[in-house]
Amino acid sequence: MKRSYLFISILLMLFANFGAQAQWKKEKALEDTKIWRYDIECEGIAKQGAKLVKVWSYSKNPKHAIASSMRNAVHGVIFKGYAGGGQGCTSFQPLVNDPSVEEKYKEFFDEFFAEGGEYLKYVSAATDGSIGPGDRLKVSKREYKIGAVVTVMSDQLRKRLEKENIIKSLTSGF
Amino acid sequence: MKQPKLILCLLAIFSITISFGQAKKPTLMVVPSDAWCVQNGYTLTFDDQGSTKKIPDYKRAFQENTEVLQVISQINGMMADRGFPLKNMESAIKTLESNSAEDNLRQSKESGSGISESPIDELKKAAKADIIIQLTWTINKTGPKKSINFNLQGLDSYTDKQIATATGTGAPSFSAETPVLLSEAVLSHMDNFTASLQSHFDDMFENGREIIVRIQKWDDWDGDLETEYGGEELGVVIEDWLQANTVKGRFNTTDMTENMALFEQVRIPLYNDKGNALDANRYVKELGKFLSSAPYNIPNKPVMKGLGRATIILGHK
Repeated sequence: MKRSYLFISILLMLFANFGAQAQWKKEKALEDTKIWRYDIECEGIAKQGAKLVKVWSYSKNPKHAIASSMRNAVHGVIFKGYAGGGQGCTSFQPLVNDPSVEEKYKEFFDEFFAEGGEYLKYVSAATDGSIGPGDRLKVSKREYKIGAVVTVMSDQLRKRLEKENIIKSLTSGF
Repeated sequence: MKQPKLILCLLAIFSITISFGQAKKPTLMVVPSDAWCVQNGYTLTFDDQGSTKKIPDYKRAFQENTEVLQVISQINGMMADRGFPLKNMESAIKTLESNSAEDNLRQSKESGSGISESPIDELKKAAKADIIIQLTWTINKTGPKKSINFNLQGLDSYTDKQIATATGTGAPSFSAETPVLLSEAVLSHMDNFTASLQSHFDDMFENGREIIVRIQKWDDWDGDLETEYGGEELGVVIEDWLQANTVKGRFNTTDMTENMALFEQVRIPLYNDKGNALDANRYVKELGKFLSSAPYNIPNKPVMKGLGRATIILGHK
């Protein structure tokens, strides 16, 4: 009887530990990319209303970098923009021109970019989540730089921000 | 009984706020550039006192070139999606033609009189918009490789300034058809174009609408811009009025003689004191009222040209 109690207790402790570890991993992934350290570049011409971009995310764990690439891509389209280049790419100005906006609407953006947040509605993996052989780079002893190609629905994202009055629409004032 | 009154009052205040809060919205129209029309042979040639001149034949371009229709349609669609549907030039030309035919046939039921039309009215019958989006593209060919050089220019019809732009060369392709390359060019450039247009509108809301004001006089008026009123020449009086009635006193006196004055970069407020939306016509009418009142007592005729250009002719109506 005592043995079975002991067994159940160990089992419960193990489950609790797994749960805590999964939560810790998620937090770690967020922590790693919290300072929005990423590079964004155009990857080609997407369908109307979307942007095809490659996001280079940095992390000690390659899995964290892949997980955060979608969040970084949406952040990049909103706040960073990108330069033009090959594949017919033209430069893209960020949806928000004023850097202070991120701080001003902190509450909205914190919620928007939270784990499983609304940002996921506006982004999808363009290559089924697979990373190209040349897009997995070890930049230092303990850090990786991972390039993921994603599609960001820039028009829908712009309309969402217009709805929140974070950016002005072309017709505002008329 | 009190509640419906309150609701009515609130509704009235709301509708006034809505109507006062709107600036006059400019119209936009995509027009193939002169360079594109000449390169593709869509021109009319005429002899102008010995020198041969070419002018774009837009009607033939729209009837014969499907690529131009595709590009314009795609731009129109994308602008409509941004809440800014454009005027369609092909339809505008057709409407002008049908209006003209109707006007020629129209007669009064009582007197049999036709529609009154001066030569100026005739001249003003043209497809126009406040902002012209001038479109040019060229196809570059290197062996089997093709690429498209694409140029969109947003031009203010009144100040002649380029207020928005998007230009660049697309990726070269061995296999893609020209319409596909054109479609890609529009897709890749429209965001930049609307972003620069947005900057122009932001500037307009902050610093006022930029217009051009011309002052002229009728030949038979005995005064001129050098006539003195209270020790000041009329030209200086008008400059002082503009100084007081422009946003941050911004305007340039480009030209001034005894017979005419030209003021450019005149930044007018978007709304007048009553909260009504202001354009060049209303603005110049206010200047006209000022000049026709004491001590100047100069009758005048304001003449408008769209949202951004107006002229006052001094002497009489």
